[in-house]
Amino acid sequence: MKITVCIGSSCHIKGSRPVVEQLQALIAENDLGDRIELGGTFCMGKCQQGVCVTVDGALFSVSPESVKEFFEKQVKAKLA
Amino acid sequence: MNDLCCDIGFKSINHTGEQLCGDHVDIAEQEDGSTVIVLADGLGSGVKASILSTLTSKIISTMLAAGLSLEECVETIAATLPVCSVRGVAYSTFTILRIIQNRTAEVIQYDNPHVILLRDDANWDYPRQEMSIGGKQIYRSVIRLQENDVFIAMSDGCPHAGIGVGYNFGWKREDIISYMEAMNLCGYSAKLLSTMLVDECDRLYGEKPGDDATSCVVRMRRRVPMNMLFGPPGNRDDTDRMMSLFFAKEGKHIICGGTTSSLAAKWLNKPLRPSLNYEGDIPPIAKLEGVDLVTEGVITVNRVVQYAQDFIGDNTCYDEWSNHKDGASLISQLLFEEATDINFYVGRAINPAHQNPDLPINFSIKMNLVQELSAALQKMGKRIKVSYF
Repeated sequence: MKITVCIGSSCHIKGSRPVVEQLQALIAENDLGDRIELGGTFCMGKCQQGVCVTVDGALFSVSPESVKEFFEKQVKAKLA
Repeated sequence: MNDLCCDIGFKSINHTGEQLCGDHVDIAEQEDGSTVIVLADGLGSGVKASILSTLTSKIISTMLAAGLSLEECVETIAATLPVCSVRGVAYSTFTILRIIQNRTAEVIQYDNPHVILLRDDANWDYPRQEMSIGGKQIYRSVIRLQENDVFIAMSDGCPHAGIGVGYNFGWKREDIISYMEAMNLCGYSAKLLSTMLVDECDRLYGEKPGDDATSCVVRMRRRVPMNMLFGPPGNRDDTDRMMSLFFAKEGKHIICGGTTSSLAAKWLNKPLRPSLNYEGDIPPIAKLEGVDLVTEGVITVNRVVQYAQDFIGDNTCYDEWSNHKDGASLISQLLFEEATDINFYVGRAINPAHQNPDLPINFSIKMNLVQELSAALQKMGKRIKVSYF
């Protein structure tokens, strides 16, 4: 599974750094490092919906507050 | 013109308890590409000394840059300077460095510690001709310039550093020379060399300088061109033209902005690989084959502008950007220290996402950033060219 987080200006201001850090921690906690490829990308052109995160190409709008919920529903559930 | 240029940097510390410095450095450019640098040290300290040295350096640099003779300058100063009521004299010592078309240096010295010249990393005792103008004993030297020549001009506050604190007779000239020879081996910029010399004086004075101390360093270095692309073109049809002009230039290439780097990646037909390594609060950089540095846009450049304005002022953030690896620090290292000639390629595209009133960035800020950055870089003595697309 490939997760990509936008690190463009707009998403950066909306908190892509805490999103990336929480995702890195969650992946390590759940021991999913070998099943998930976490990457960054510059602007996806969907700045209004930032922080923009894609999971295998599907776009999600994530905030530092909702990362955990996003991870449970969209990542862990799908890999289980 | 040859391909040398001068890197000029200076720093002063004030006599303890004084708010103004009695030393003054003035730099004037001549139309023929020559530069006149004057370091003047006014009698005493504080306001009076500051007025004397400011007048002296400004008069000399302006008159010499306008092509008038040294004799006329000295006479003008003697006739103009206000006479000190305590000592009954009008007095300001000066050192003049005139870099003529980056080929020849003319050094004129009046009562300041003699200029130190490091050539091929060692002190070189250059010939001096003694002359008398208006009863003043003045030394003049004409020196053919070489790459890596480093001129170190000082006010007497430098060799006097430490008198009665660490040393009996102050910081001896030979010791200043060996200190600067060692520092110069590291390849530091003129600004950093002058800062290190004056900071060492401050330390020797026990951080309570007994005199104003100033050093001005001029380093002859080879020109290094650099190119920076910032923002997509206003009309997307101009992308090809912008990219071909940018990549055709010699020197390193820096790209700022997410969309801009994506366009460059498409043009180069190479993958753009953003990293997720955060250092500090600046967005991560990216890798793109054929480009020396790829960073995010406005946030990064905004920080570079802050560093640039600090660098030409108090230089308090130097440690922050000179050792770090975030986008803004890397750009600062390239632009402030490595480059001498910088070409900016600025796209006027308006990013619709940035027109959100909740965001602290917008189009006019972006255009201001470029103007502020190029103004600061010009003050560092760099040649700047800005092209808009």
